[in-house]
Amino acid sequence: MVGKSKRAFVVAVGLGFGLNFYGSLPAAAQSIEDKTQVCAGCHGQDGKPIDKTIPVIWGQQQGYLYIQLRDFKRNDRKNEIMQPIVSSMERQDMMDIAEYFSNKPWPDLGQPRASKDVSDRALSANHSVGCTGCHLDHFQGDGTVPRLAGQSREYMAKTIADFRSRARGNNPGMTDLMLATSPDDLAALSEYLSGL
Amino acid sequence: MNRFSIGCAALCGAVGLLTAAASAQEVKQETKSASGQAKVSPVTQQLLNAADKSATNFLLTNGNYAQTRFHPAKQIDRDNVKKLHVAWIFQTDVKESLETSPIVVDGVMYVTTSFSHVYALDAKTGVQLWHYNHKMGPITTYCCGPNNRGVQILGDLVYVATLDSKLVALNAKTGDVVWKSDIADPELGYSETMAPTVIKDKVLIGTNGGEYGIRGFVKAFDAKTGKLLWTFNTTPESSVGVWATKDATGRDMHRDIQAEKDQLAKTGDPYQKLGGGVWQNPSVDLATNRIYFVVGNPSPDLDGSNRPGDNLYTDSLVSLDLDTGKYACHFQYIAHDLWDLDAVSPTVLVDVKGKDGKTIPGVIHAGKTGHIYVHDRRDCSLIRFSEAMVPQENMWVLPTKEGARMLPGANGGVEWSPIATDPEQSLAYAINLHQPMNYFVENSPYPNGKLWLGGAFKAIPTEAQAGNITAVNYNTGKIKWQVKTPEPMIGGILATAGGLVFTGEGNGKFAAYNSSNGKELWNFRAGAGVNAPPSSYMVGGKQYIVVGAGGNTQVDFHRGNNIIAFSLD
Repeated sequence: MVGKSKRAFVVAVGLGFGLNFYGSLPAAAQSIEDKTQVCAGCHGQDGKPIDKTIPVIWGQQQGYLYIQLRDFKRNDRKNEIMQPIVSSMERQDMMDIAEYFSNKPWPDLGQPRASKDVSDRALSANHSVGCTGCHLDHFQGDGTVPRLAGQSREYMAKTIADFRSRARGNNPGMTDLMLATSPDDLAALSEYLSGL
Repeated sequence: MNRFSIGCAALCGAVGLLTAAASAQEVKQETKSASGQAKVSPVTQQLLNAADKSATNFLLTNGNYAQTRFHPAKQIDRDNVKKLHVAWIFQTDVKESLETSPIVVDGVMYVTTSFSHVYALDAKTGVQLWHYNHKMGPITTYCCGPNNRGVQILGDLVYVATLDSKLVALNAKTGDVVWKSDIADPELGYSETMAPTVIKDKVLIGTNGGEYGIRGFVKAFDAKTGKLLWTFNTTPESSVGVWATKDATGRDMHRDIQAEKDQLAKTGDPYQKLGGGVWQNPSVDLATNRIYFVVGNPSPDLDGSNRPGDNLYTDSLVSLDLDTGKYACHFQYIAHDLWDLDAVSPTVLVDVKGKDGKTIPGVIHAGKTGHIYVHDRRDCSLIRFSEAMVPQENMWVLPTKEGARMLPGANGGVEWSPIATDPEQSLAYAINLHQPMNYFVENSPYPNGKLWLGGAFKAIPTEAQAGNITAVNYNTGKIKWQVKTPEPMIGGILATAGGLVFTGEGNGKFAAYNSSNGKELWNFRAGAGVNAPPSSYMVGGKQYIVVGAGGNTQVDFHRGNNIIAFSLD
């Protein structure tokens, strides 16, 4: 499946799941495996997403995953696939799902290490803007701040663009920082971070 | 993320050693692992009140309730400090930003690390006695590193505040949790990196969050039970103030008062999401039963368009009654701040010369602006401000979409680093940053507990950064001496009766200087940034200097995990 038909499939699955989040079982009887089964459809059975513009969530920071699920439901972060999926999740579901994925090992997407020139440029941009001030040493993240190291390059480039255009509106602080950083620096950062 | 198998954790737990090495991530293990007990007698209030006179202990984050960071031990002095060498090193399990002030009582040392760990060590040998590994909640929201600046003890309880905004009381002997209280909701942007100040029956704590649209506070909790006693909100319901157009030094801040008044008429008083965190310990005047602290920046940092008015009491010195938490006086350094040049370095209570030359009780604060401010303790009024300790250019240029250059940069001047004082010399010692920055402004609505800077501050890559150690006479405002350093300074400084000051640099250098003239007398290379305030103490008749060397997140200095103690023989 490619392109639109794949997207249509995923949307259909998402809608179906979202409308019947609890399926035929009461919520309490659903195991965490049941609750998270739909996620593998996009984010990958083995943690490697089916598309490069879909983020790795395996091994991501628990607080960050929870906040994104919460923001999708609140419509602070817009995504036509995620929104139906979260529509009937309660806060505890989101916490449980976030904890489940945070305990998974981060997959190796096989992205290449950035060249010295690109790395130097990325680190210089970091020194100027202060990314590691929140994303911490080695860009591992913590709590509600996401890990960037080894994330999909295409997903990060798209996210940066969405922050800049405010298409992603759930972190104005990040929007401000991305607007204050040059596109060349941002491209170097995506390349550098994906290769970590 | 490094993980050890369950088997190893159980075995290692049994012998009281944690072996899982953590880098940026905290170690995910059991809550506590104890190999022994800390043999320490209960710390009385009398001992704490007399902390400034104790050459043996180091009982409070900044030495004593006045926060002078002047230690009375004089065994190590200007003549023999060149013989100072490492006595021991303790390597914590957390290799991340280290800002702790080591506390020492009865030969037992208490230190904290990033992610709110607490260790009890034998102060003579550095051997671990116990380790509290705080079970952190999944939601933590903090801007500048997962730091922790230390504990305080009263009685047989050790108090620590955590990144997930809790206050925890531990048994000083064993590290067992005695009580835990929630301070505020991390999901709304609240967190803790400061050490508490404990006095009589109260634990005093401020909050982080000025970058997240919180409503800042200082809270007092019952020391025995953890019950909340009082809350002082640092942003009062009427926060607009007097519409000051000049800062404390008399410089014009280019405010458009009419535009702000128009905004006020439209949206009302912005106090509820106005920021005003309190990052550092208050000083306590035991004679008058009053506390003095400084309040951080308004939210969002760079964009003032949605927060009309002076934004009281952000960027201010504030004094409260200790028992009730009621307001006593304040002084605002910068009204309607747009540069994040807020007040963070903790206050110090010293006698100072008033405007008429008479000696009066004073309170001083070293600002991100680069000035040391000297106040009358009775009414918070400003007596004088010092010469600028760092270059100042284009002061109060308004941030723009394209970026506007101003010195100092947004970290200062003096950041959260505590100063030291030597009352005999009337000197205050401050460590400064020089980081040329461009200030950018962007407008966005309140983001529900997310980062809310209202723009960005960017270091200018083509302009060199630097730092300095400056001694200022607080009775004249003049700089007595200044040592320039190759990198911006953040951490802290200690003065001793041996005529020395000790401070460290991000490149790993830890040095002793003659406190009268700034001559460097000794140094050591620690291998990671020395970005923490040093302490001093005595065990078995021997004086030690101790400091953390773990680097810093905010200024990105090389990370480590060492606590290093030095002595003469």
